[in-house]
Amino acid sequence: MRSTFIIAAPLCVLAVGLAGCGGTTGSAGSGTTAGADCSSSKVFCVGLVTDGSKIDDKSFNQAAWGGVQKAKDSFDAQVKYIETTDAKDYAANIKQFTDQKFDVIVTVGFLMADPTAAAAAQHPDTKFIGVDQSIDTEKVKSTNLTGLTFPADQAGYAVGYLAGLLTKTHKIGAINGLEIPPVEKYFKGYEAGAQAANPKVKVVGVYHPAGGQPFNDPVWGAGEAKKQLAQGVDIIFGIGSNTGNGALNEVAKTSGAGTTLFCIGVDVDQWGTVPEAHPCLVTSAEKLISDGVGELLSQANNGTMKGGNFIGKTGISSLHDFDSKIPADVKTKVDVVVKKLADGSLQTKVEL
Amino acid sequence: MGGFSAWLRRQRLAVGTSLLILIAAYVFYFVNQAVATSMFSNAWFFAVPLVLGALTGVVGERSGVVNIGIEGQMLTAAFAAFFTAAATKSLVTGVAAGILAGVAMGAFLAWTTVTARMDQIIAGVVINIIATGITSFFYKSGAQLPANMPQWNLPLLSSIPLIGDTFFHTGPIALFALLVVPVLHFALFRTRWGLRTRAIGEYPSAADTAGINVNRMRFVNVVLAGILAGAAGTYLSMEATSSFGRGITAGRGFLALAIMIFGAWRPLRVVTAAMFFGFANALASQLQGVVHTPQQFITLLPYVLTLVVLAAAAGRVRAPAAEGVPFVKGEGS
Amino acid sequence: MRNPTPPPTLRETVSGAEAPTPSPPVVAERGAPAPPRGVLGLLVREQSILVPLIALVAAFLVGALLIRSQGVNPTYAYKSLFSYALFGGSGLTATLQKMVPLVLCGLAVTIPLRVGLLNIGGQGQFMVGAIGAAAAAYALRSAPGVLTIVVTMVIGVLAGSMWASIAGLLKATRGVHEVISTIMLNSIASGLIDWLLNGPLADREVPYPASHAVADSAQLPPFGFVPIGLPIALVLAVATAWVLRRTTLGFRFETVGRNKHAAAYAGISIRATTVLAMGIAGACAGLSGAIELFEVDPYRYQDGIAGNLGFDGITIALLARGNPLGTIPAALLVAAMRAGAPHLGFDTGLRPEIVDMLLAITLLFVSLPLVARLIFRRHTAKGNELASSWGA
Repeated sequence: MRSTFIIAAPLCVLAVGLAGCGGTTGSAGSGTTAGADCSSSKVFCVGLVTDGSKIDDKSFNQAAWGGVQKAKDSFDAQVKYIETTDAKDYAANIKQFTDQKFDVIVTVGFLMADPTAAAAAQHPDTKFIGVDQSIDTEKVKSTNLTGLTFPADQAGYAVGYLAGLLTKTHKIGAINGLEIPPVEKYFKGYEAGAQAANPKVKVVGVYHPAGGQPFNDPVWGAGEAKKQLAQGVDIIFGIGSNTGNGALNEVAKTSGAGTTLFCIGVDVDQWGTVPEAHPCLVTSAEKLISDGVGELLSQANNGTMKGGNFIGKTGISSLHDFDSKIPADVKTKVDVVVKKLADGSLQTKVEL
Repeated sequence: MGGFSAWLRRQRLAVGTSLLILIAAYVFYFVNQAVATSMFSNAWFFAVPLVLGALTGVVGERSGVVNIGIEGQMLTAAFAAFFTAAATKSLVTGVAAGILAGVAMGAFLAWTTVTARMDQIIAGVVINIIATGITSFFYKSGAQLPANMPQWNLPLLSSIPLIGDTFFHTGPIALFALLVVPVLHFALFRTRWGLRTRAIGEYPSAADTAGINVNRMRFVNVVLAGILAGAAGTYLSMEATSSFGRGITAGRGFLALAIMIFGAWRPLRVVTAAMFFGFANALASQLQGVVHTPQQFITLLPYVLTLVVLAAAAGRVRAPAAEGVPFVKGEGS
Repeated sequence: MRNPTPPPTLRETVSGAEAPTPSPPVVAERGAPAPPRGVLGLLVREQSILVPLIALVAAFLVGALLIRSQGVNPTYAYKSLFSYALFGGSGLTATLQKMVPLVLCGLAVTIPLRVGLLNIGGQGQFMVGAIGAAAAAYALRSAPGVLTIVVTMVIGVLAGSMWASIAGLLKATRGVHEVISTIMLNSIASGLIDWLLNGPLADREVPYPASHAVADSAQLPPFGFVPIGLPIALVLAVATAWVLRRTTLGFRFETVGRNKHAAAYAGISIRATTVLAMGIAGACAGLSGAIELFEVDPYRYQDGIAGNLGFDGITIALLARGNPLGTIPAALLVAAMRAGAPHLGFDTGLRPEIVDMLLAITLLFVSLPLVARLIFRRHTAKGNELASSWGA
């Protein structure tokens, strides 16, 4: 019996102690609020569901969440997020928000397109914003669903143009995540832009083999970047969340970074999110996700959000510390290209 | 010279294959220097954590303890190394922390399997799950290494064509991995420690009769092997990249097990096997866009070949006989 | 330097837990104390159930500490997690839906475990079963729903079984360790399927690699909140337990698992048993894949359909301590935790990884023979271990 007592006693004490003791009975940390009642018309609740990446993935999901938090500040919205761990949970996670009568639900990533459309059809009073989800307006008629897409090929074209002008070896590279349309658009735009700037240039791109977290394999990205650099590439575009970040890191570590070797970020201005890349990060190809999400959220707030597709803006980020190092004529030419892409006078002619 | 030629005759398969590989590599090198060098470098880059992980398994299994938890050891080490270095702003402390984490997990494995006599496979699985849980749960974004790990160019050695660039233009952990291989080979097969280690793994009751404290030696060996796993994890988050992402090990620990078996629990063969995998990996990405075979087939090649080679080498490769079974004095084995 | 082969030993490789009920008689060994009577006697006899239960409670208490360290009230957290997973309508459906593949993949590990094999290939076998089913479903897209379902289930089973048999054959004929062959086969399956999804089986309408969706007539959404696969999984688990204990086949499996040499001496073909065990395991995993395809939105094969199931299957088998019936409560527990995690995150802000931590601690406590020994001291039943080693 003694041995039983030795076990039982501390366990019982622990149990009693923990049952009663403190700790919140509501949301803890993580910058979320929304204890309030969302079904009330005075309270504007915004929810976000990630697509399997984390909320702090330094690109996509983080940018979308940034847009949501802007909404929190500008019109006092209650905000919350759910990180999806299993692709089969998308619908269930969206349901967490619809059950609580959230006003707007932002779903991030085109993998969530179908569950988002289904939820939008079931809950016509809730607004849905699908980031990177292209709505087929023939098939989907819901006016409460807006697909926020970005012409990634334009952003890729712009940075490709810059790379084409900057390269001294006439060989530039890209390290890509999975071979899916959003990534392909960036890469093909990059190729087109580089060739437009520099017909002699050779563009080398490599896609991550599927299986094993193609967007979260920085070691692979670093290895491939190293290989490309050893084969004469002098500018590398990292397209693929964390995998691309590994490539950026590797270029930044190599001798010659910032003088003869450069790297280019993706999705957001990675100068802020990947400080390790400062030595080589000349610019980033941006999808203005935060702005797009923020814009749509204020539309939802005023009731002016229409369904269908909403084309967000893309751009290239500031050159930061490289502003003085890049020749002025290069900068002017790139600015012209960016303007022409934005007003439509220049087409990337990228087909998938 | 009689001894040498006898040795040569016995090892003719190994020596022959190694020579063939070297010749093929240099032919490739002369055909296209940049591509060859970059591919072999990439192969070694990929192989370093695999070699360290596989050697962790080798030391453990030669002592009679099966270690499936290498993945978990590597992951914890990567986590500990990165966040300690970021917090203390010191690379050295980071590396030390990483290695210590590997050792700690090794000690946990040793305690559960040797002392508490828990099933070794379960213990390994538990380590993996705990490691995933801890590193994901306590992860905070935004940490940054104070500096990058140094990259050295070893004075004379790095000028050797091909081999120099691949192995001797390197960081400290990769260099450590390179050195560990011959050291461990020597230790296992030419020292008293090695003999005793192999004894407790093959025939522990006889070793016990001979006066070796089997369980203590197993415990110590598994803990020491944790150094290697810790180095592997540290390499991932500090030398290969300068970041920690959840799941950074991406199955390398399991691949290391395969390489350990492929390498027949012998350090020199392990490093060859690891380079083989690394090279196939480099080949797959190199041929992307050049050759129109679906890239998946090329990436799959090393895995299929592993199975083929293992099937062909059946019977000649054998695990240490007493591994997996806890040793109890008095119970025969 | 060649190692001299040690003389063959009759080494026991214990590979199965003791049966749950009826309780095995506690035989007094020479020198061991007489078995106690009364309540304590009852406790000692049923320790195979009690030990895991106590371990579970202990693990959850440790988990509570962890939750508290994040500033959340543990009771509230557990209530949030389990009330959603077990009582909310959609939560319960999610739990049961997750439970089905977990039971089947748990069986896929448990069955070979009884023969002394460790099947890490559940992931690949699941995927092959699912893709086989997807291909068959597409080929039969104009056929009546019932026919489609039956045929594709069979094909899924056969595909998974075949995939596992590769490892089984390699082990039986060439002695290739099943751990390494199944790890390799997982990667090979992943790569092959990736090619199929981008090539022959791709549905071009969808912007990501995926197979065609199963025809509407063949889709099987949950019946109320019970997924159609649940009865299948439960029946299989019970059937497995029955076969293992009451049939000649089961006896052969058990014997090979406990003592290969004795089994060989008794005329049981080790090779045939190995291949058969792996084949059946693959069949379970393959069936799981096929069911998942028909049961779960979006009814098509896409990346992520397998999730972490293969490895969760190992966890389930270990939690069940090698007992097929044990996979049911183990799967329910794991499924409930995973289904409840998003709701827990929603309510408390705790990361979904807390579930991984809880599972890890649970597995640790359940597996530590120390727990049994601490509680039951000298009355600890022998044979509390599962399979070990790569198999000689």
